[in-house]
Amino acid sequence: MKELEDFLTGRVWLKEFTPFPQSEIDQAILQGFVTRIPGITDKQECSRCLEKSVNLTSFYCEKCEGDCLYCRHCLKMGRISSCTELITWTAPSPRPLKTHSFQWSGHLTPSQNLASQQVIESLQINRSHLIYAVCGAGKTEVLFAPLYEALKTGKRICIAAPRTDVVLELSPRIRAIFTDTVIHTLYGGSPAEAGFAEIVIATTHQLYRFQNAFDLMIVDEADAFPYSMDPALKRAVMKAKKHDAPVIYVSATPSVQLIKGTPGRSEIFRRYHGQPLPVPRFDSLWNYKKRLRKNSIPKKLETWIRLRLSRREPFLLFLPTIELIEESIPLFKQLDAAIEAVHSKDPNRKEKVMGLRQGIVPGLVTSTILERGITVPNVQVAVIGADEEIFDAAALIQISGRSGEGHRTFQMGMLSFSIMELLGKWIEPKIR
Amino acid sequence: MQASWRSLFMNDLDEAVCAKCKAEFESITGNTCLYCDASGEGVCADCMYWEQTEYAGLIAKGRCLYRYNEGMQSYFHQYKFLQDVILSEVFAKEMNHALAKVDAVIVPIPMNPKKLKERTFAQVDSLLESARLPFHHFLIKNEDVQGTKSKMERMASSPLFHWNGETVPKKIILVDDLYTTGTTMRHAAKVLKDAGADEIELFCLIRG
Repeated sequence: MKELEDFLTGRVWLKEFTPFPQSEIDQAILQGFVTRIPGITDKQECSRCLEKSVNLTSFYCEKCEGDCLYCRHCLKMGRISSCTELITWTAPSPRPLKTHSFQWSGHLTPSQNLASQQVIESLQINRSHLIYAVCGAGKTEVLFAPLYEALKTGKRICIAAPRTDVVLELSPRIRAIFTDTVIHTLYGGSPAEAGFAEIVIATTHQLYRFQNAFDLMIVDEADAFPYSMDPALKRAVMKAKKHDAPVIYVSATPSVQLIKGTPGRSEIFRRYHGQPLPVPRFDSLWNYKKRLRKNSIPKKLETWIRLRLSRREPFLLFLPTIELIEESIPLFKQLDAAIEAVHSKDPNRKEKVMGLRQGIVPGLVTSTILERGITVPNVQVAVIGADEEIFDAAALIQISGRSGEGHRTFQMGMLSFSIMELLGKWIEPKIR
Repeated sequence: MQASWRSLFMNDLDEAVCAKCKAEFESITGNTCLYCDASGEGVCADCMYWEQTEYAGLIAKGRCLYRYNEGMQSYFHQYKFLQDVILSEVFAKEMNHALAKVDAVIVPIPMNPKKLKERTFAQVDSLLESARLPFHHFLIKNEDVQGTKSKMERMASSPLFHWNGETVPKKIILVDDLYTTGTTMRHAAKVLKDAGADEIELFCLIRG
């Protein structure tokens, strides 16, 4: 029963699909330890992701022997319909305070330190807080001390990030510091972990499966797609935390609403290694799409790649569409067969990024999915077709943040045409 | 697949069927087995085997629409196992074109009633309903979990269906979602033939 309590505390889970025997669950329900929640509420809303009835799909159900609604929004976590039930632990028993270790010997810059103290102050008065800091400012380090303070007072913490890449990069860093803390890492397809997690590091999607669970919610990369675009994910963050628990937002490119809507704020505009955010060099690359499709790499781009290869500098080459990546990768492989293409749907994504870090892969041709959460020393970056809609201001700033993070040199941004439009995208957020 | 902010944001790729998604499905063309549409000329090895058993001569011919490639695998998974009922619409047009003009009675492969309650919908019936095709059940599925068996076990397994007692028409086209070894179809055809059917054809959405 202890294991069931650990698992279900703060969680909402499909009754039929838990890792526990159905008999144990039925018994816990009878004893009142576990509460059942209808999958679709009276207000015709999905109990897990809070999707409203207009977006629910109705069908004739053989189990209901009548009309039934199901939710497509969170379908991949197991279908929620009118005839399914979710379960949660009714009244979690109080957990004794435990000692956590804090294994971190790094030091903070004065501005990081100030931000860190400001976050702690906000937490003391249960106030939400925004850490607004440029890429490479060392935002994660700013969180370490507040995390430790929160753990010491017995708080349950969630660190949520919109994308799996970011979660995977964050998790080992947090685990290395809090060695005595039970930490779970959750993303689509993550392995099952036992025990009651004091820290949950999860993609925002996974928060659908929590309810009233956390005393402190941290949303990393709060400006990042898909979180920034999807109201359901924002609702999930609010649902997963306890009602009066504060939220710490971490962002390099926060929206106006986020800045205005968050009472506490710290700003860091210098990068950790002291280098300012690189300003890209603009260059024209006429007809790059046509050229690539006609099996030739534009001369300027070829020269750029050859220079990286000869200097053995790892590089990221951003292209606007996955199709263009697929069409042109054989061309890039002619320059060096070890160059790889990688996009969001690539099952070998992790291995390829690791290869770039280890120097086995000289460069990656990629879409925007890699723009965040990648730290490769001395990486060189080129954005092809920077005027395309997909490279919006937040994405471009993040991309330039990849360059030189962890080390120094930065190369250039490359674009196809319509320089004015691109400059607009760059200048706009800086004025704001 | 096209990845634009719009398509990612609107979840178009997963939820609607655009031309790009459809292009991921591979239609069956060229020389194929007379009975089951497996690649190659004449009759495939599996069907050759069937024609040497008590199931010989049951089936006049057969047709499948798509190969079981990666795109189809993810479609099938989402439709059947994630129970995304609305995906029965995806092949409505193609199913309709293939079956609307046949002069045989469409008989879907049924689900076991207990299994049907668990799954909440009959995936073959739903495909036919979405395609606006009339159909009639003459078979009842016996209780058994077929998916867990090996190929040999399946070929030799005990009867999968029994007749529901209603008068069976002379010409029948049996319809299923996925054809793998042909066991399901042979068993169904045998019950229908014994119940009085003259000519039986097969139709499957996917050839596994």
